[in-house]
Amino acid sequence: MNTTMRARWYVYAYCLYLLVPLYWLVNMSLRTRGDITAGLEVVPLNPTLGNFAEIFTNPVWFTALGNSLSYVVINTIISILVAVPAAYVFSRYRFLGDRQLFFWLLTNRMAPPAVFLLPFFQLYSAIGLFDTPLAVALAHCLFTVPLAVWILEGFISNVPVEIDEMARIDGHSFVFFFFRLFLPMIRGGIGVTVFFCFMFSWVELLLARTLTGSAAKPIAVVMTRTISASGIDWGVLAAAGVLTVLPGLVVVWFVRRHLVKGFAMGRV
Amino acid sequence: MSLRLKQLKLRAGAPSGIDHEFADGELTVVLGRHHSGKSALCRLIAGLDAAPAGSLFIDGIDISGLNARLRPVAMVFQAFVNYPNWTVEQNLASPLRARHRRRGRDTAHHQGRGNGGDAQAVARRVRMVAESLQIDLLLDRYPHELSGGQQQRVAIGRALAQDAAVLVLDEPLVNLDYKLREELEGQLRTLTRQTRQTVIYTSSDPLAAFALGDRVLLLKAGEYVQSGRPVDVYSRPVSLVAADLMSDPGVNLLFGPDHWLAVRPEHLSFKPPSADATAFPATIVERETNGSETFVHCRCQDENWVVRSIGVTDAVAGAAATLYADPANVMRFER
Repeated sequence: MNTTMRARWYVYAYCLYLLVPLYWLVNMSLRTRGDITAGLEVVPLNPTLGNFAEIFTNPVWFTALGNSLSYVVINTIISILVAVPAAYVFSRYRFLGDRQLFFWLLTNRMAPPAVFLLPFFQLYSAIGLFDTPLAVALAHCLFTVPLAVWILEGFISNVPVEIDEMARIDGHSFVFFFFRLFLPMIRGGIGVTVFFCFMFSWVELLLARTLTGSAAKPIAVVMTRTISASGIDWGVLAAAGVLTVLPGLVVVWFVRRHLVKGFAMGRV
Repeated sequence: MSLRLKQLKLRAGAPSGIDHEFADGELTVVLGRHHSGKSALCRLIAGLDAAPAGSLFIDGIDISGLNARLRPVAMVFQAFVNYPNWTVEQNLASPLRARHRRRGRDTAHHQGRGNGGDAQAVARRVRMVAESLQIDLLLDRYPHELSGGQQQRVAIGRALAQDAAVLVLDEPLVNLDYKLREELEGQLRTLTRQTRQTVIYTSSDPLAAFALGDRVLLLKAGEYVQSGRPVDVYSRPVSLVAADLMSDPGVNLLFGPDHWLAVRPEHLSFKPPSADATAFPATIVERETNGSETFVHCRCQDENWVVRSIGVTDAVAGAAATLYADPANVMRFER
């Protein structure tokens, strides 16, 4: 076996190792509560979809899934709408304090979310936003908008400024240029940005839990609360875990090619 | 249409502005070295930058404040700039469609005419331009599927399709290899003669001035140096800078107490051309030849000189030699 072959096997082995917990999660989600506690089964002997059925029929799980998706989608939309113009300006224009402002945006990412818990909680309670998907979405924007601006600025700076100038000389209006020429050019970057905003918002637990009560409870919170409430239903919990992983997988699938480019540019 | 520059400063803080007229239908080669303000001039004419001082007139109409979108100026950049997500056909039609959209907005409310006729006219014009640049078989391709030469043809085609009064070409062929450059240069000359546009073509190569230019305009450090027909500027440079810019390799220099003597490499020879030829004693340093001509590098009074001679010349490194030039070709410039 030559060196490249051996190196390849190491990589396969490592990937397999990484997949073990994920496999175990899927494994558990296909078994009943009794089965799981009974003993070790590498391959489920009596696979069942009952756990998934439980989630999709029980309104608690179902609405929680809906809540999570709604604030994540709202957050992603707001982040993209705000970050694309901001990143364009940071990339194309020089103005007083532009570098400082750009860096300041990034420093927002350096503070742990917990720092902002109290102000958000108090503010949202005061203005009646508490316990709505919009509350969580806006709170997450504090982190996803700087991230999105940072990533998009890299992609936009990769487009030669001569293209903007060419469009002006050709006589295109800025609106036409921006929406019909420019946005399609950076669609890969937008895809990558959507992915990162989506993932941040999807896995973030602390803000999501604190800023919601019963009405807008996200799925991750329901999962943790199940543990303490009616004993632990391992199978349903695992099924919920699987369902939590899926949206991320779907998004990754769509942006996988652009993701590599984003990594290569050092912005991701 | 003619383009006139009035007291136009290429950069803020320049001591004086440029007054110049680019005559209707002529091709002017703007010659200058790096950072001579060639690109700055192009961007000012196209309206991409605002002039620090001075104004521009097209046929007597002041366009200094006019947005780049509305200026009757087309431009080709040094880098191959095309819209990557549009096909060649869409790229070429881009300025035409932009114009139709603008007109459509202006006239839509009092004219219910469809633009089927417009679409046909655009298609015809695109086909014509593509054929003249030999890219008519590539219309369905995307820019990244083309070679560098083809990409620049598309960029030139888009500028030609615009059919603007003034066409600005900012060192369009620099990034191409030698053979392609010559070929495209020839095609550009034919095309611009046909369209009768006022063309501004920047370069750092005096050969381009002779090959393409009806006129030449010399720039140095953002300042006007000289302008005129290439042969006139070549034979009667107003200053050492002008003589040097129109010479490749640069002129050979001798420093006098209050003047410079300058001789072009092609005016030097190893045999006296006439009885009253001026002689310069020198030492040969090295020789490079490409068969058709030979460059002999010499030292003359502690200056590096180059002699350009036809064919292959024998020259031994380290040997002493006497260089001759016709006194009419020895240029004298006061300090």
